[in-house]
Amino acid sequence: MTAQHSHRFSISDGTTRRRFLATTGTLGGAAALAACGGATGGGGGDEGEELVGVGNNGEAGTGRSGDAADQLFIAGFQWSPPTNFNTFAGAPAWPASSNVAQYVYETLLRFDIVSGELLPGLAASYEVDGNESISLTLQDGITWHDGSEFTADDALYTFELGKIDPGLGVASFWTEVDEMTADGKTISIAVNSERKNVGAVLAQLAQQFIVPKAVFEKVVEETDKNVASWETDEAIGTGPFTLELADQTQIILARNEDYWGADFYGGLPKMSKIIHPIFKSNEDGNIKFQSGALDVMQQFVPQIWKMWESGKPVGTYLQEEPYFVPGSVPMFLMNATTPGLDDPKVRKALAYAVDYASIAETAMSGYSSQVLASLIIPDGAEDQWLDRDKATADGWAYDAEKAESLLQEAGYAKGDDGIYAKDGQKLGPWTMITPQGWTDWNAALKIVSKNFQDIGVDASTNFPQQAQVTTAIQNGDFAMACWYVAGTNPATPWQRFSDVMSNVDMVELGQTAYRNYGRWENGEVNDLLEAAAAAPDDDSKKEALTALDTLYRAEVPAFPLMYRPDEFFEFNASNWTNWPTEDNDYAPPMFRGAGNTWIFELKKIGE
Amino acid sequence: MSTVNSSMAEETAAPRANTLRSFNFSARFWVSLVIVACVILMSLAGFIYPTGPAEKVGSLYDPPGNGLLMGTDNFGHDVIAVLMAGTRTSLIIGLVAGIVATTIGVGVGLLAGYVGGWFEELLMGVTNVVLAIPAIVVLILISMSLPSSTIWSLAIVIGITSWPWTARAVRAQASSVATREHIDVARLSGVRLPGILVKDVLPYILSYAVMAFVLQVAGAILAEAALSMLGLGPSGVNSLGTQLHWALAFQAVASGAWWAFLPPTLVLTLVSFGFLLLQASLDEVFNPRLRRGKRKQMKQAAARREEEARLLAEQAADPAARADPGAPADPAASGTHQHPERSEAGDPV
Repeated sequence: MTAQHSHRFSISDGTTRRRFLATTGTLGGAAALAACGGATGGGGGDEGEELVGVGNNGEAGTGRSGDAADQLFIAGFQWSPPTNFNTFAGAPAWPASSNVAQYVYETLLRFDIVSGELLPGLAASYEVDGNESISLTLQDGITWHDGSEFTADDALYTFELGKIDPGLGVASFWTEVDEMTADGKTISIAVNSERKNVGAVLAQLAQQFIVPKAVFEKVVEETDKNVASWETDEAIGTGPFTLELADQTQIILARNEDYWGADFYGGLPKMSKIIHPIFKSNEDGNIKFQSGALDVMQQFVPQIWKMWESGKPVGTYLQEEPYFVPGSVPMFLMNATTPGLDDPKVRKALAYAVDYASIAETAMSGYSSQVLASLIIPDGAEDQWLDRDKATADGWAYDAEKAESLLQEAGYAKGDDGIYAKDGQKLGPWTMITPQGWTDWNAALKIVSKNFQDIGVDASTNFPQQAQVTTAIQNGDFAMACWYVAGTNPATPWQRFSDVMSNVDMVELGQTAYRNYGRWENGEVNDLLEAAAAAPDDDSKKEALTALDTLYRAEVPAFPLMYRPDEFFEFNASNWTNWPTEDNDYAPPMFRGAGNTWIFELKKIGE
Repeated sequence: MSTVNSSMAEETAAPRANTLRSFNFSARFWVSLVIVACVILMSLAGFIYPTGPAEKVGSLYDPPGNGLLMGTDNFGHDVIAVLMAGTRTSLIIGLVAGIVATTIGVGVGLLAGYVGGWFEELLMGVTNVVLAIPAIVVLILISMSLPSSTIWSLAIVIGITSWPWTARAVRAQASSVATREHIDVARLSGVRLPGILVKDVLPYILSYAVMAFVLQVAGAILAEAALSMLGLGPSGVNSLGTQLHWALAFQAVASGAWWAFLPPTLVLTLVSFGFLLLQASLDEVFNPRLRRGKRKQMKQAAARREEEARLLAEQAADPAARADPGAPADPAASGTHQHPERSEAGDPV
């Protein structure tokens, strides 16, 4: 089991794997610099010893002095004073907020976004029996922060909370699961025999923080089964850190010296404390990060390459564009009930009209690889399910002329106003919505709107508040929108196909939908989805997913605009080195799930 | 008596050189006019500028150079082209919003001030209520609730939230005009209410309305910038505010892309400064009490008055010397003569 975090400290010889096409232009210099993966330690470092996992320019800092040298400064998760550490509350503080980092609370399994593997967490191993059941074996000697023993009952009770209070997010576990039982250290889960969606169950097992039964039994009693309303400034978990202090300006976690996983992870975490300063804005954090006052963060930094080009020991997982491993796909949704957009030929023409490279370059600051006409993310964990040749062969790419010729083939002709129309039905005026302040999405839609105007489709942007957009999209009260679908997790890409295409429980316009917001209707998609979910082995699963992807490309119910990282993972090697990078890939570039591996492996500069 | 004499003397002593001077346009006026004209010219230059504001000519925040005077913005568009288009939009929004606000404000103010009574109470009550609500809050709420935002809807929304202070000021002036004799004459000769308002009351407050309009235009341009920076600006159009919005959203300040946020900030500052200065200098033109002459003219006038005062004093001294030692006449006379000199000295230049 311990092989999962095998150390690979080999020094790159320059012939690194490049899975992403580097675009030409301003980045050439950075890429050339970054081609050398190793670096000799900066001033205070050990002379002669090569450091790995340093800035993309090969630089490392000289280390901090005093107590701060042993501390890890992290940012990008908490933007307001922490008020509540109840992980089931509406907006709990970091790191109790669900599925962000396994520092205080841990999950049974840990998902690796790069390899797609499920690594052991609180459970030492898991076994899937077809699509009927899953069994987990717990690790030995797990203890809670208060010293009490962790048992299978704690895990069972955590999921049981979803039955006690159906308002909790964990309640959705029980739509996919019939029964969950424990026998000693073994937990058995009977997957819902109708839905047979093993992937969704595994995703929940990899995301749900396990909480102590002793504490939450009392909470259920005190709050009269309204667990979300409970407020607490304590967080008793099983993780390698305990909550030490939380005030208006920072959250401090202290190392749990009695951590159960010291043997499993090969020691305790290297830092004595993890400190999350609370910033007012992205800019504040970015400036601190550039100066080395923050070691690692999850914040959007436009043109991050400027930091290492100016000599700062800043680094990312990938050495070249797009720098971050893609983990989510902002989707361009079209309402299939809107006249004009109900025609798949029009939808396909629109997919041809969008300048994806421009969106990736400007709106996403270069952090997106080339968009592929598929609902499967062509990298990392999902790559194994993708039939790339087929996606390229019958997919689309930016080609404005082709878009216009497709419209003409479909019987549309340009009117006097330069807008295409057929039988008096004009293509537009349509409004495309996405929440205000989601700046990369706002910018992307602005580019799409111009692309559409250029080919003769009348569409403009509108950016209302998030709540308004959510309601409009769920109720089908939109023509076009940019919205999110499932990001990479153990249940994708199936989950994403279901999100975009599922015809199960279709709801009328005006009623709340939770998938297929465009109300796209198709007779065969449900069977294909069922077949893919219940596929007994990998080969048949890939075949079923490819069939879904082919149907998707023929009908284009929605199309991806760009890729986004699941989490931005940026580090500054001014005090710590051995960060996970493409050439030093002992851990994925994550904070959640398998991302806790690196806290055991960082190296202090000057030690 | 003697004050009247001296002021009459002043008038005859300073002959008008030409009609333009009679308007007493100050240097401030010309400066503000040049600023405003420059901004308008720049907005029109967008029509002949070779690059369109939606043309992608570079990448995210390319620095100035390479044929681009001000580099590119976050979309890779030429900052100069965007700035020209943005200035045009901002000026149009300012103009339309200014017309809407001034029309409503002057209309409400005229009616309230002239008609008086309960009607005045009602109108002013409404005005006071609207005045008490912070305009920016109303502006944000209305803008958010609009299904889509165009420059026209934005201009009208700004216009209908910024009229109250104009209405209050116009009402004060209108109620003063309403008590004058010519209004009675008009009323006796059977002119109806609209006729009196337009022909007999409005001309007296027209100068004020013009100044209010200039202020409204400047205010509307700033209001547009504030709204657009919050992301509530017109969609699909460039304005100075949306330009700042994108610069803010893509962290131009933190990434050191000064060319993305400095030009619109400068133009915004210039345009509002120009309009405010224009308003202040118009105030001097319309209000004789605020009139200030040119230094040279004033010196000449002062010298002339001194000369006249000396002559007067001599005249006064002669009879006084001839008559019995009536001392009390002296201080009075000298006080009168010194008065214009004192006011001359105290006048700021």
